[in-house]
Amino acid sequence: MTPLNYILAVQAADPEVIDRIPSGYSHFVIPFTIGITFFLCWIGVGCVRLLAAIPRTDRLRFWKSLFIPKNIVKNLKDLFGDCLFHVKIWQRKPLLGYMHSAIAFGWFMIILLGHIEVALFVPARLNVTRGGLFYPIFYRYFVWMNPGHTTLRGSFFFFLMDFFLLYILTGIALAVFKRFRSIVLGMRHTTKPSLADRIALYSLWMIFPMRLLAESFTADLSGGSFLTVGVNHLWHFLFGEKLLFTPFWWAYSICLGLFFVAMPFSRYMHILTEVLWILLRNAGIKPHHPRKGVAEAEIYACSSCGLCLDACPMNVQKKNLKYSSVYFIRFLRRHNEKKINAIADKCLMCDKCHALCPVGVDAPALRRAQRITVNNSLPYEYSYLALAGTAGAAAGLRPYSAAAERGWTRPGPDSCPADTVVPEVLYFAGCMTHLTPRIIKAVEKVFKAAGVDYAFADREGGICCGRPLMLAGKTEAAAKVIEANKRMIEESGCKTLVLSCPICYKVFKEEYHFEGIKVVHYTQFINDLIASGKLQVSKSDEKIVYHDPCELGRGSNVYIEPRAALDKVGTLVKAAKEYDESVCCGGSLGSLTLDNRDRAKITEASLDNLLVNDPDTIVTACPLCLKTFSETVSNSKHLLTDVKVKDFAEMI
Amino acid sequence: MKNNILIIGGGPAGLEASAQLQRMGYNVILIEKDSSLGGHLAKWDRLFPDGVPADEVLSGLIRSTEGVKLFTETEIRAINRLEKSYNVRLTNGITVLSDAVLIASGFDLFNAVKKEEYGYGIYDRVITNADLEAYFKTGSDKRIDHPKRIGFVHCVGSRDEKSGCRSCSKVCCATAVKQAIEVKEAFPDAEVFCFYMDLRLFGRHYEDLYLKAQKEYGIRFIRGRVAEVSENLDGTLIVKAEDTVASKPLKATLDLLVLMSGMRPSASGKAVGDLLEMTVEEDGYFAVRSGIAAGQRSLLPGLFLAGTATGPKTLPETLADARAAAVEIDRYLTEIFPDARNYKQLVRERW
Repeated sequence: MTPLNYILAVQAADPEVIDRIPSGYSHFVIPFTIGITFFLCWIGVGCVRLLAAIPRTDRLRFWKSLFIPKNIVKNLKDLFGDCLFHVKIWQRKPLLGYMHSAIAFGWFMIILLGHIEVALFVPARLNVTRGGLFYPIFYRYFVWMNPGHTTLRGSFFFFLMDFFLLYILTGIALAVFKRFRSIVLGMRHTTKPSLADRIALYSLWMIFPMRLLAESFTADLSGGSFLTVGVNHLWHFLFGEKLLFTPFWWAYSICLGLFFVAMPFSRYMHILTEVLWILLRNAGIKPHHPRKGVAEAEIYACSSCGLCLDACPMNVQKKNLKYSSVYFIRFLRRHNEKKINAIADKCLMCDKCHALCPVGVDAPALRRAQRITVNNSLPYEYSYLALAGTAGAAAGLRPYSAAAERGWTRPGPDSCPADTVVPEVLYFAGCMTHLTPRIIKAVEKVFKAAGVDYAFADREGGICCGRPLMLAGKTEAAAKVIEANKRMIEESGCKTLVLSCPICYKVFKEEYHFEGIKVVHYTQFINDLIASGKLQVSKSDEKIVYHDPCELGRGSNVYIEPRAALDKVGTLVKAAKEYDESVCCGGSLGSLTLDNRDRAKITEASLDNLLVNDPDTIVTACPLCLKTFSETVSNSKHLLTDVKVKDFAEMI
Repeated sequence: MKNNILIIGGGPAGLEASAQLQRMGYNVILIEKDSSLGGHLAKWDRLFPDGVPADEVLSGLIRSTEGVKLFTETEIRAINRLEKSYNVRLTNGITVLSDAVLIASGFDLFNAVKKEEYGYGIYDRVITNADLEAYFKTGSDKRIDHPKRIGFVHCVGSRDEKSGCRSCSKVCCATAVKQAIEVKEAFPDAEVFCFYMDLRLFGRHYEDLYLKAQKEYGIRFIRGRVAEVSENLDGTLIVKAEDTVASKPLKATLDLLVLMSGMRPSASGKAVGDLLEMTVEEDGYFAVRSGIAAGQRSLLPGLFLAGTATGPKTLPETLADARAAAVEIDRYLTEIFPDARNYKQLVRERW
């Protein structure tokens, strides 16, 4: 083939762009066409299979959600924010955010602008039968700029294309750099790529430099802007008048083809699966199975970016890296049952990987779903459930059995027997608070000081709230526990249920579905007491650092109230990481198998995180965190700090 | 010239080793951080298995240390190893050039406040083994007022990975049995319960003590850990436990609960260890050259260890360990230390 093809003469009508090759085809497009065809077939079949695996009701909900205006706005916002601009990464690690968005948004713009150019200048070529699949991608190869007839519009597109190409190239440069020195971009640990990942990764790296080469070699024919024309001059300077450009277009096409063939087997499948996952997520559909249906969208939406590696509290020890969400998802993809179970059980369920995930992949939910497949069918002993009622009766509440006879209704205050109380507020301490009696003492003291009319539902002990069972994957057992507690509480006739344990709070709020009973955490309740003037507090100079318990912060989105109240009794100082970045105390009952020594390491790291600003007191609002910190704070490493660990209610 | 030997810690191990080394003719300097000697022994009333008064044992130990240079209320400010000896600056301003150093820093009792579910420091009627000994010694404790039902909780801060204490503290089982008998003697009408995981009554006469507690004193032993303790409005305690023999949960109302706090590595000992960058094992106690053959030698030449600085021990074991350390020090100071030319090689071969 002759490298330069000037068979078309300058025409009088002077279109700006002239189809240089009338057939609109050249052999070099074959690798790309094969790759993209394979990929599109794969993704088409995948989508159908995935949607077919979702339960019918959920599927209907999904289709409907696509037409609800509020949802449409959210979908658009999330698609642009999460898939293209990677806003979540920007917020945490700007350089990393730039890298990801440069590649994602830059590539998207190049594809979009490429198609717009074709639509504007050679619209016929958008037709699939006339090369619509590949023509817009290789547009610059097929056209010839009519010299002297370039319009401002044309130059504008030339500029944009070059601009976005440069934008991507800077992103790629950062990505290559990150492979060697990830810490510069804010990542301590990065994911180990699999074989398919490597093939896709290296071809992805090559695509854009190849595009630059290919386009710059043809820039004197098909036009270009500052980048491609500039580089074109360089080639002319180096290689003389005649440039052999076809090999570069072949290389460009091969890289693209290779990438698209490797993509379904690599982490880059996330580029398109993300879209589906975001739509499913925003439709509010939850996974029922750790691998099928919605879960599959989630699994393939994971980009293996490895942000969860640094987020995971277990990874203070390098040996635990393998239990991170990114590897959990990888093994789910590979159907490696043995490893999946081990990893699913190890997790503390602190939810940080979910909170920080750029596309919101809920790995803890998948781990729970995996635990359900193993644990839900195990035998369980229910005889203790009656304790819920006897405990309620002991606290002076309406007897449980009578409630059952009446047929499960909520009577008004007047219809209750004389010897029972109908409190305005019911306090449920829960198992964990019973292990930290100073919380109970402090809470009761606060209630008395504020004159709260309350009853203590489980003073004589009660039954579990059900959350630990849910975390362990025993959903049926949890449902039974929830039912027993629900009866006791609904029968009490209370208006407000106060919990001092975030684990209880989350499950009472999300799974009990009370009607007419407000469920509040004691931090919220006490903050309200202070705000409404019922409780008088005085400010001291004590430097307080507040630890966000996982189930309260990330789990239930309660960040403000405890801080607001603490700000009135002392001086709040910051931890290194707080709010949704807070580090699990290590005591979480989410993990089924994590060793005590490993937990101790996590606790140390969590304490280090809290102690950066030399607080006098660590305050938390979870009995489990309190217990874990109190037990560790005077041990070994922290021997020399005389920091106190206190519960929220003790501070007030 | 008499070699200087510095002994850190004036508890039973430090006292016994001082006495032995003094007898051998060395120049012994004993330092103690408190104002009086004896360590935990000075706070104890009577000793298992025979009920010997602790005072008697302690005064015997102190008597035998005559001639030892003693500094109380003294700690180590700085310590560094010279070519062969240790240069030690004390907080009282004195500097000692010591040819051998013996660390007998002992143990701390597990801080029962950390086991919050048992309510020590929160409920009035929860006390520890040390509190009970103090009561026996002084006869007064506001928390102990004619209790009718008394419980002992074994393994508080021992064999409990959750509180970071995996090892057995060795002495608490026998102490609990001894204290249960004593408390029954003090309050004959009271019912006494011991909550245990398993009973480790390994020493001579310990088993006899255990049988006596059951047969003669009617003390009830319940196999199962206490889960949690709560308080009634009248101040009595509700103890929830599991009776693992009957496989049933159990709930008992008690007037007094005694927590058998276990042994933990001593904080002041750790501070000394940090100055010397001594190796500490995972359990927090100092590492020894060889657990079987050289249990009194540390990893640093000329630095010896005795007593509970290297792990929980009963009193007789501690005393035996101190004597062994004295012999080891003597061997070092006669065989290795004087040979200036071959010192390094000898240390390599025989330390």
